[in-house]
Amino acid sequence: MIGRSSPFFEAAKHAVLVIGALIVILPFYVMLSYSLKSPQEIETNTGGFIGAQAPMVNEYCVKLGNTREDCTETPVVFNYTQAFKQAPLLRYLLNGVIVTVSIFLIQVVVALPCAYALAKLKFWGRDAVFTMVLFCLLIPVHAIALPLYIMLAKVGLTNTYAALVIPWTISVFGIFLMRQFFMTVPDDLIDAGRMDGMSEFAIVWRVMLPTAIPALLAFAIFSVVAHWNDYFWPRVVITGNRDLFTPPLGLREFRGGADGSDWGPMMATATIIVTPLIVAFLMAQRRFIEGITLSGMK
Amino acid sequence: MPDVAASLPADFPTRHAVVDTPQGRQARTALYFVAPAVLLMLLILITPVIIASVLSFSSYSLGSPGFEWIGAENYERMFTRSTYQKMLTATLTYVLVVVPMSVILGLGAAMMINSLRRGRDIYKTIYFLPVMAALLATAIVWEFTLHPTIGLVNKTLADGCEVGWLYVLLSGSWLGGDPAASWFGHGCADGFPLWLGNRNYAIWTICFIGIWQAFGFNMVLYLAGLTSVPRELYHAAEMDGAKSAWERFRLVTWPMLGPTTVFVVTITTIRSFQVFDTVEALTQGGPSKSTYVMMYAIFEKAIRQNLIGMGAAITVVFLFFVMVLTLVQRHLVERRVHYS
Repeated sequence: MIGRSSPFFEAAKHAVLVIGALIVILPFYVMLSYSLKSPQEIETNTGGFIGAQAPMVNEYCVKLGNTREDCTETPVVFNYTQAFKQAPLLRYLLNGVIVTVSIFLIQVVVALPCAYALAKLKFWGRDAVFTMVLFCLLIPVHAIALPLYIMLAKVGLTNTYAALVIPWTISVFGIFLMRQFFMTVPDDLIDAGRMDGMSEFAIVWRVMLPTAIPALLAFAIFSVVAHWNDYFWPRVVITGNRDLFTPPLGLREFRGGADGSDWGPMMATATIIVTPLIVAFLMAQRRFIEGITLSGMK
Repeated sequence: MPDVAASLPADFPTRHAVVDTPQGRQARTALYFVAPAVLLMLLILITPVIIASVLSFSSYSLGSPGFEWIGAENYERMFTRSTYQKMLTATLTYVLVVVPMSVILGLGAAMMINSLRRGRDIYKTIYFLPVMAALLATAIVWEFTLHPTIGLVNKTLADGCEVGWLYVLLSGSWLGGDPAASWFGHGCADGFPLWLGNRNYAIWTICFIGIWQAFGFNMVLYLAGLTSVPRELYHAAEMDGAKSAWERFRLVTWPMLGPTTVFVVTITTIRSFQVFDTVEALTQGGPSKSTYVMMYAIFEKAIRQNLIGMGAAITVVFLFFVMVLTLVQRHLVERRVHYS
């Protein structure tokens, strides 16, 4: 905008933005607050943000034959320990890491050489391959989940890690992005590599990869955020086998069996699942915003 | 390029070099490089589209030995049966509410934040938080917040009934209306809505969560777009008589943001078509199919009930929507949406 807005306008804008911010934050506030409070406080909506933290008796612990004294703990301890005890949350988190990391690594191994070839090598069929990439950009993987599910079911791969990873191994967007990036790398750099006797393969990993680190980092954030948070695809291919649950599936299952008394542990689970990305985002905001809005770089 | 071959070190494997030109070698290497990607594109993206198209004309189900060709019956059903009409209604309602709202809010927030003297970063950070958090987790929290009896929203509304001035303000009696006849008055007397459990409210509640989640993403893209608007254009517009803020917006900001808008609208639309997490976790398509969106229909019909032919037909219609949208976007981008 031009000029300086009056103090009145400035204050009015802040007022609107603060109301917006409160609405945006509300669920995060509720999530964190409930993860700290006792079941009674949640049900009666008392105790403010963190609750009174009055010691409470853990009934699950009593049922296991412990004395009531041994089973007395504060609500926050109760909620967070129950989150890990009632479901194998650690396993879910580990699965989440395994799946997101494998997806990203395979995407890079497949996309980088292809992007390099499309950007810098002359070969018969290059235009055809690039056209194919542009066509495939039209197909969201979620949209073709059903035929993919049928294919995986036919080869007996549902309920495996492979099923969680395979559909995402090809990132046409990654190919497109890296190709655009490689186009800007000067040919001299590649020719110098060839002069030094490097194979094309070595050029991809030892010359092109280092120049592409910023773009690759942005793509990594894009990919990891999408797959850590993805719920639809795991829901389709993982049926019942808890050992393969990703964090969102674990949270959903928790909810399925939750009555009011489990709200605290469930909100603790939600907090644990959401926290890693939020913390990473708060620490490296610019990189994250770049990465998530990558698709705007076309 | 023979000098390149000559400059190779002595131990370089020259087996191919003897037979081939360097260009020939480069071409072969290139084929190795693109082969994995091409194979995966064919297998994971293109084959499924073909499979879905073929199966959509059949009554196939997993595990059954054979299947019948039933022509366009699945498609006919989709446009005649009330279940699928509700599906299309729910999906289009969601898209037509979430896209404009999250684009307008995204643009509004971006312009306000951009014109602030201080505090820009804090708003930007907060508004972007929902984009980072798993939608499933935040959806479940929204469900608790909107819980009919112990949720924060209805509790707060009910508490508001007790506060005299707030009741007057929200029930509209200060405008001369009958307080008991207003929405707020009704809520105070008979309880506030069930939100997700009421078929008149459920789809709007799902839309609200969708907007809540999406607009921060659009805001960030618009903020990037705004930084690329040259300030001289505003001066020029002012010289030409554009005095009001609205005139400057209409003549400069909006046209200059054209490319951003095309992109934002396309990506928000494609994402809105794919809404699933909130519906699956909170309403399962109900009450009475009022939130029965397409992705959920595919999941329920084809994967849960094994009606694969029908699911494939929905998939094809879905893909058609998404592809047309993307092609329109590309067309607009190529025609330079600036200055149009």
